[in-house]
Amino acid sequence: MTTADPTAGVARRPVVSGRRLTDAVSHAYIWTILVLFILPFVALLGFSLTSRPGGSGPVANYRYVVDTFGDNLLWSLKISGLTLLINVLVSLPAGYAIVRHTFPGKRTLFSALTLPLYVPGAVIGISLVLTYNFTYHLTTSMWGLVLAMALGTFPLMLTPIVVALKDLPVIFEEAAACLGATRWQTYRRIVLPLIGPGLSAGLLLCFIIVFNEYLVTLFVHPPGLTTAPLRVFNQIRTAGLDPATAALAVTMQLISLAAVLLFFRLFGTRHLKGTYLL
Amino acid sequence: MTSTTRSIAPLRPGPIPALRAGISAGRLRTFGLLLPAILLVLLFLYYPLVFIVQMSFTQGSSFLSPTGAITTVANYTLIASRYLPNLLVTLQLALLATIVDLVFGFPFAYILVRKVHYRTAVRALMVFPMFGALYIAFGMRFILLPGGPATPILQALGIASTDALFSLPSVVFAMSIFTFPFMVLNIGTALGNVDPTLEEAAACLGARPWQTFRRILVPLTRAGTVAGALTVFGWSIGTFAEPLLLGSANEQRALAWTVYQRGVVQTDYGLSTAMGVVLLGVAFVVTYLSLRYSRGALVE
Repeated sequence: MTTADPTAGVARRPVVSGRRLTDAVSHAYIWTILVLFILPFVALLGFSLTSRPGGSGPVANYRYVVDTFGDNLLWSLKISGLTLLINVLVSLPAGYAIVRHTFPGKRTLFSALTLPLYVPGAVIGISLVLTYNFTYHLTTSMWGLVLAMALGTFPLMLTPIVVALKDLPVIFEEAAACLGATRWQTYRRIVLPLIGPGLSAGLLLCFIIVFNEYLVTLFVHPPGLTTAPLRVFNQIRTAGLDPATAALAVTMQLISLAAVLLFFRLFGTRHLKGTYLL
Repeated sequence: MTSTTRSIAPLRPGPIPALRAGISAGRLRTFGLLLPAILLVLLFLYYPLVFIVQMSFTQGSSFLSPTGAITTVANYTLIASRYLPNLLVTLQLALLATIVDLVFGFPFAYILVRKVHYRTAVRALMVFPMFGALYIAFGMRFILLPGGPATPILQALGIASTDALFSLPSVVFAMSIFTFPFMVLNIGTALGNVDPTLEEAAACLGARPWQTFRRILVPLTRAGTVAGALTVFGWSIGTFAEPLLLGSANEQRALAWTVYQRGVVQTDYGLSTAMGVVLLGVAFVVTYLSLRYSRGALVE
């Protein structure tokens, strides 16, 4: 992270009186808000390093996370992984058809497919828990939860794929076709590698959302399956504030942050354009 | 892009050009590619939504009774009377969070787009709220706890620490932090498309900063700002963890939590689904308006 000189870039512009002051105030404003952003996280981090009643210090809290909440973390990872798989399998063909094929009602279809993003989580939750109960009989299966997660997040995968495909000139595919590649070969050897970063952006977004999802999960989780965010929620509701719960929340956020930083490192930020990350 | 595709398409191998006249293999392939996505939304979004709309017109859990469901509109009249405060407090929270985001988000986006050179660092820090409202609410609850880290600051400001937790402002604060990045994203995109020379021209012609803001920036970024505000509002009406963990009894009536309480805990399916439908209705109106303003042109 760079701490830029607040006056950098001023020299190029016409000098206006008070410019330096304005700049200083501007940067102070940005950093104040950013501090507010990470304040809840920092607070939880600090809290997780305090001793539990009867416990012995920060290490015990994180050991407790591994011992007691380990199952929940594993469930979260497993659910996230399966959801990402379904999302890719659903979004790749759909994104390709939306960008490369011509058919009537394309815009309506795209809106209809991205609608899940705009339906409040509690509504998705109540509608799914009732249909799972009375129509699909999916309440005891892990797949009910996975499909609920896939429904809520696949538009986040679809959108970056559509953006990446639109940015990809069609001539590459045409060249491949002219050189005798089959449709499948073109798709696998040309299109897929070239939209890789867009696809990864979708994977990142979906992972962050699913990995930290507690609301729809609260409605549709099968008995005996508690993901880590849901466990955090339940612990706060039943056990009050506990440093070990804070440690679990911190662990979740650190894993998510690691995913984001890894993505930034590998692909930069521009592939997240048109999505919900800056 | 689309027209290019169309004009060059005959160069591709395969039977597409020949079959174009009838129901072509291409059509079928398009449909095949779209089928998984269509099935997913039909089975897990549209059918369940139709299901809860139907159920919202039945009484309690009479849906399950062997004598058949009792059809009624009582759930909706109940929402309009006894549960009206729940709806109103939901809208109030969402509106306040949107206003806070708008007021603080516009300058933030402006500075970010025009002056900041360390945008990657800002982006990395701005993902924290995306990890979820739950952690924000949890963290805030710890901060505001009487005897917690914020107590000295609150005392210095003359606020009793018992008033800070479980209050409207703390709920709104947590909600605005959660949705702030969406607002900044929308406004920032709009601002990025405004040529900075326009502001310089305005300044050269003698406009004060306030005039430049009102007459140049606001009109040119209106689409992004409105879309951002609507998106934030739409997300905020589904607020769940923040009112529950940070609100007083009044804020805890927020609709999403009531849906869970009535539906899953007390199995009053009729009332709970009716509340869900109301929530959905608000969300749809907001989304419709927002799509009219925003980058709905992504596809075509």
